[in-house]
Amino acid sequence: MQRRTFLKRLATTSAGLALTSGMGAVPRNAYAKRKKQDFGEIKSLKVECISETSWFDNPTLGKDIKAAGGINTNQYDVTYNEENLGGYAALIEVEALDGKKTKYLLDSGWSNDWMDYVFQKSGVDKMLQNKEIDTMVISHDHIDHYFGIESTLKHQPDIKMYFPSTSMKKSFELLKGADFSSTPGCPKNAHPHTGELIVTKPDQLYKLQDGAAVVFFDAPATLQVRGENVMYFKIKDKGYVTVTGCCHPGILTLINYARRNFKDGKKNYGCYGGLHISPFENWDPKMDDIIAGVKQYDMQKIACNHCTGWIWAEKAVKAGLPIVPGTDKFLSYKKVGTLAKANTSNVYTGNGDTVVF
Amino acid sequence: MGTQNIRQGWLAERQLAPRWNVWASGLLNLVVLAVTAMVVWWIFFSNGGPLKLYTPLLGFSLVIWVLLVIIWQTEYFDYWPLKRPYLDAAHPLQKGGILTGIALGVYFVFIFGIMFYIIGRYGITYFNWNSLTQYGELGQDVMSTRETTSWAFICLSVPFLWLTTVLMVGGDKTAWPDSLQPGQGLANWLLMGLLSVPLYLVFFHPHIGSMFYPAQVYAAVPPWWKEIAGTNSAEYGLGILFCSVIVIFITLQLWEGRPWNLVKGQPWKFIAVVVGGLLLGFLFFKIQLAVMDYLWDEAYIGGQNEYNYGWRYSHTVTMGNFILVPAIILGTYFGEAFSRLAPWLRGLTMSVLSVILGLLFAWAYYAWAPVLLGVCEGVSHPSENPSAFLVLLIVLLNIHDAFMDKWPGYRLVAPEDLQR
Repeated sequence: MQRRTFLKRLATTSAGLALTSGMGAVPRNAYAKRKKQDFGEIKSLKVECISETSWFDNPTLGKDIKAAGGINTNQYDVTYNEENLGGYAALIEVEALDGKKTKYLLDSGWSNDWMDYVFQKSGVDKMLQNKEIDTMVISHDHIDHYFGIESTLKHQPDIKMYFPSTSMKKSFELLKGADFSSTPGCPKNAHPHTGELIVTKPDQLYKLQDGAAVVFFDAPATLQVRGENVMYFKIKDKGYVTVTGCCHPGILTLINYARRNFKDGKKNYGCYGGLHISPFENWDPKMDDIIAGVKQYDMQKIACNHCTGWIWAEKAVKAGLPIVPGTDKFLSYKKVGTLAKANTSNVYTGNGDTVVF
Repeated sequence: MGTQNIRQGWLAERQLAPRWNVWASGLLNLVVLAVTAMVVWWIFFSNGGPLKLYTPLLGFSLVIWVLLVIIWQTEYFDYWPLKRPYLDAAHPLQKGGILTGIALGVYFVFIFGIMFYIIGRYGITYFNWNSLTQYGELGQDVMSTRETTSWAFICLSVPFLWLTTVLMVGGDKTAWPDSLQPGQGLANWLLMGLLSVPLYLVFFHPHIGSMFYPAQVYAAVPPWWKEIAGTNSAEYGLGILFCSVIVIFITLQLWEGRPWNLVKGQPWKFIAVVVGGLLLGFLFFKIQLAVMDYLWDEAYIGGQNEYNYGWRYSHTVTMGNFILVPAIILGTYFGEAFSRLAPWLRGLTMSVLSVILGLLFAWAYYAWAPVLLGVCEGVSHPSENPSAFLVLLIVLLNIHDAFMDKWPGYRLVAPEDLQR
């Protein structure tokens, strides 16, 4: 393992003489050579989109980040336009094979004002107060997934939490009650976390219950953030479903991780959440590759939203992928995004929508 | 020093000697290079510095084009408009300052004057980020358009760099040999430019035409290489052409131009450099891809980060540059230490050393650059491209060698002084 890690860092050259490299859509060699894990099955999975609107206007956020030095700037050093901020969160309900239901909360958004509003609108605030939510999973410590942590902890500071080991030092401090709000748009937390904290590390599977697990991927992201927790569910007679915050490792990485590491890993039933393809609605031919790549697998429900990008979702629909459309529920929220086409097309799952796998 | 020998050029004819022994002179120069690189990086490029040009593509596009201009100045234009008496007599710091100023001036005139302001405003939208923002709609905001335009400049630089290299090595200045400067340089430059444009249109324009929604299919065909490469990205062609350039540069630095200079007469030498350079470059490219398959398992269509075909193609360039930098340092600062070896043994020894040093350099970069240079951590970070720093080093090495006579470790001497 150490040798391999060392070689990964060295990254390339000198050994091997092959004039052809594998150019397959689906990796085959790696799939065959690993021992497969079995973490059980569930009966069904329901995901409610509490909020997928992390910010309301792309150009405004782009200007804020550019003014601070660009996409590689430390996220705690950017001055954000506070009127523009929203946040991402999803409520997950798992039905076990015996019919017992368990709730999980994925992420806590960004603006406390927005998150308090959507938590109240969806009833998450009451669920937290009544301790109906078993566990919280922080996918990663990006602005729009974690800066609103106070909105969760003020209702239930002792909630059990999965947290990425690669999170920034200030993100750990925020969990303990730090205040960075002197910079506009940066967070504060007056309710330190007191519950069990599981700091997730690479190459480990954290079983939540039979058929549900968290896997940490040490994937790079913007604004100096690294690493993301991904939720895997195995639904009886259907297959695997991933639930993600942003999916920085890439949807095909998640699919292939299941294929390589899980029992029956070739059964990919669906996914929910951000796929981090075109969050600012710009395009690159590599994003066409992702459509071509996903088409190789027989997914039944792709409930993407958030940083997936409206363009990718529309192109994926045209390519025949089973993108789950949204409803008009998001229009009942007090704010909607400025992206006109996305606001009228319902191309993907929006605020207030529910998806059942 | 001859002043009438137009074919050789001042760079090839000048004689340098170390001020002290080779190792002391070379090490002093290496320290000067490292300090200069750190200062330049933190002032102009780093996210922690004042100008933050490492976005990363804007910074990469800047250094690659400045490198091209420096090669044109020295190899095509033979330092014109400066005269040989001045080059022979001026202090390296003064000479370096003037020639670097000319290089930056040409860069700004060509890239920002002609490409950005004229062509980008009145011809091709994607060469000007303001035009993209003005005429574009969805997704064309201030942050994305700057990267799109910078990517277009990088794409444009690749055929220019490849043709500049093969014409420099294979052409051997045999075209218009009797012309004086700047006529000779201009003729060679126009020939290179004329051939570069169709290469750019075939290998890179389809990528940029697909960077918008809907794809600009009436102006650019969809990427025709996707079945061959496993990706729509032009990084496939970029990787092969850039690897070819890197291999040819290594032969110049460490093998004294072998095997190309074994081929006599035209057009055979030119053909040998084009075909041989492409074959060696392709081999270098494929070897690296095989190693990546071993380290990370297979890439797959649509994979992200290190599982993405396009990223792996670009990473062959990154790793090639990690090897090229020590190769240039060895050849430029320490080459004389190996002069007693037979040419082939010398080339082999220095090549093996370059690969070992290059891999150590890569390891050190990924381990320490986040602290030392303020870059993001991770080998496959989407906002990270070590080639920006590596090409900056190559630019500084070229300025130090070609413009400043490797001062302070080396000094310019007359041939008769060397023989005393």
